[in-house]
Amino acid sequence: MSNLIEMKKVKKTYQLGETEVHALQGVNVKISKGEFISIVGPSGSGKSTLMHIIGCLDIPSEGAYHLQGEDVGEMNGDQLADIRKKFIGFVFQDFYLLSDVTAWYNVALPMIYNRVPPRTRKERAINLLEEVGLADRINHLPSQLSGGERQRVTIARALSNNPEIILADEPTGNLDSVTGEGVMQIFYKLHEEGKTVIIVTHEHYVADQAERKIRLKDGMIEDEG
Amino acid sequence: MDRGFLLESLRSAIEAIKTNKLRSLLTTLGIIIGVTTVIAVISVISGLKTQVASSFSTLGANVLYVQKYPWVMGGAGIDWWKIRQRKDIGMDEFRALKEYGSSFKYVAPQITYRYDVKVGNKNARGVEVIGTTEHFPEIRDQGVKLGRFLSMDDIRYKRDICILGQDVVNTLYPDENPIGKVVRIKGRVLTVIGILKELGDLMGQSMDNVVVVPYTTMSKFVGRRRSITITVLAQDEEEASEEIRWILRRLRKVKPGEDDDFSINSSGAITKQFNELTRTMFIIMIGIAGISLVVGGIGIMNIMLVSVTERTREIGVRKAIGAKSSEILSQFLLESVMISFVGGIIGIFLGFSLTKLISTIGNMPFGMPIWSIVLGFSFSFFIGVFFGIYPARKAAALSPVEALRYE
Ligand SMILES: Nc1ncnc2c1ncn2[C@@H]1O[C@H](COP(=O)(O)OP(=O)(O)OP(=O)(O)O)[C@@H](O)[C@H]1O
Ligand SMILES: [Mg+2]
Repeated sequence: MSNLIEMKKVKKTYQLGETEVHALQGVNVKISKGEFISIVGPSGSGKSTLMHIIGCLDIPSEGAYHLQGEDVGEMNGDQLADIRKKFIGFVFQDFYLLSDVTAWYNVALPMIYNRVPPRTRKERAINLLEEVGLADRINHLPSQLSGGERQRVTIARALSNNPEIILADEPTGNLDSVTGEGVMQIFYKLHEEGKTVIIVTHEHYVADQAERKIRLKDGMIEDEG
Repeated sequence: MDRGFLLESLRSAIEAIKTNKLRSLLTTLGIIIGVTTVIAVISVISGLKTQVASSFSTLGANVLYVQKYPWVMGGAGIDWWKIRQRKDIGMDEFRALKEYGSSFKYVAPQITYRYDVKVGNKNARGVEVIGTTEHFPEIRDQGVKLGRFLSMDDIRYKRDICILGQDVVNTLYPDENPIGKVVRIKGRVLTVIGILKELGDLMGQSMDNVVVVPYTTMSKFVGRRRSITITVLAQDEEEASEEIRWILRRLRKVKPGEDDDFSINSSGAITKQFNELTRTMFIIMIGIAGISLVVGGIGIMNIMLVSVTERTREIGVRKAIGAKSSEILSQFLLESVMISFVGGIIGIFLGFSLTKLISTIGNMPFGMPIWSIVLGFSFSFFIGVFFGIYPARKAAALSPVEALRYE
């Protein structure tokens, strides 16, 4: 299988005043297309940092990251933005929806940046909301939705430009286990449809559904399996 | 720029302004004041200009008025005390100009006094009685509409005749043709030979409350003599002016290096004076407007910095879903331009109302040049861009991860 994601000795160092924080200290990771992966580890072990780098929100301080064979470390801001727009869909623990627009508009937002024509945009947004089980919540504002529903809107938004990779940082962190389970089923379905799904999580029931678990500790991969 | 993106940026800007209505309004105060001032000043001055121009056009172009005193005081080096000491202008000056002047079309004296003009028990009070010659109509560009004007013989033989202005006719002969009838001025009986064409008002004063008589006749009933006016119709104002100065300085024995002891007035000169005055006014007001626009701009910059900080998370999300830095920049720039534009529109509206008010109170013609509106819009656009660019760049430069982490 070809490597969609390949990291070699990736380090990420943050400068906090005088002190340096080594969030990642030499991470080697290979992920193939279509894999379903969970990233686990104690708080502060660098899970989010790793995810940000995979998602091209940030670049490594040291080491190499190749995405589909391309060297991300060499890219400028616009190129990274372009990759995020077309290849990556993000799902955040706190949803991060725009509060002043409806569910469908939130879902359509990435398509605006991707220059999708208006009519297609709305149609596709509605389809995606139907897919995540929100057919009757299309015109609701985020404040009128429950946590689980909001997270499903976020997933629909992540899917709107039909990305190759879905990255979720603690997607169930703010949900009870029943609702969380519902959200996980959507991720599972996406995996079955062939998407590469990577989920950062604390919860066992979430991590256990993945095909492969990457365990981080102190910015290093402790265990892969 | 893509239409979908533009619409989204517009929507987001409107939303941001709507959620902070009061804050946005207060922010635009400086812009409002600035634009209002610009519009009002330009409109009022241009209104005044039209009025002055149309008023003085009744005085006629190329007419010089040689007089003891200048029409407009002010300007550098004017010594009021010295002017008061000047010798009167009299008939000697008139004769000298008539004799030696070569660049004039016509020269005529205008000896002006205010007298009551009577017929029977009717009395037109305080009429401007002008003693002049047969050239008065050409110089003043005002002939008779009925009867005839003065002739050379009328002057030479000091005939007791007169020509009435329309206001005087209205008072003394409201229902009859006055020609051939008589009027009395200072007890002297004068036969009416004509009626002057109407001139209307000059700066709120009627120009038709006049009676014209031969200057020679006038000297028969005028008591104490005063300085007179000599009117000159010039081919070229500059040239004629120089010639008048040359002749009168010799006649009145003004030493070289000394100032003229007479004044050459003209509508051109007064318009020039007026323009100088309005220019000063203009510069002061534009200065005030400029200051408030800058203050307004700084207000916008401040509020945009607040807005960027408040929406750091949103910026992070937009970047995460693929927004380029340039797109974030455009979005915030559009917002600042819009805030500024709202101020501009309110300012244009207020400027319009203020001008209307001033022109109503001051009884002036209302005029708002299109370019003043264009200027108002351009100012607010420019301020929006200029003071919005720094906050917008700050938003664009945020790192996605930092922005998402922001609490
Ligand atoms: N912008 C930053 N500046 C300084 N230090 C940072 C920054 N971002 C992350 N860190 C540090 O890097 C380390 C890893 O952070 P990261 O957010 O990746 O941990 P995490 O595994 O996601 O933790 P959690 O489970 O609590 O979300 C932490 O010690 C954190 O304090
Ligand atoms: Mg984390």
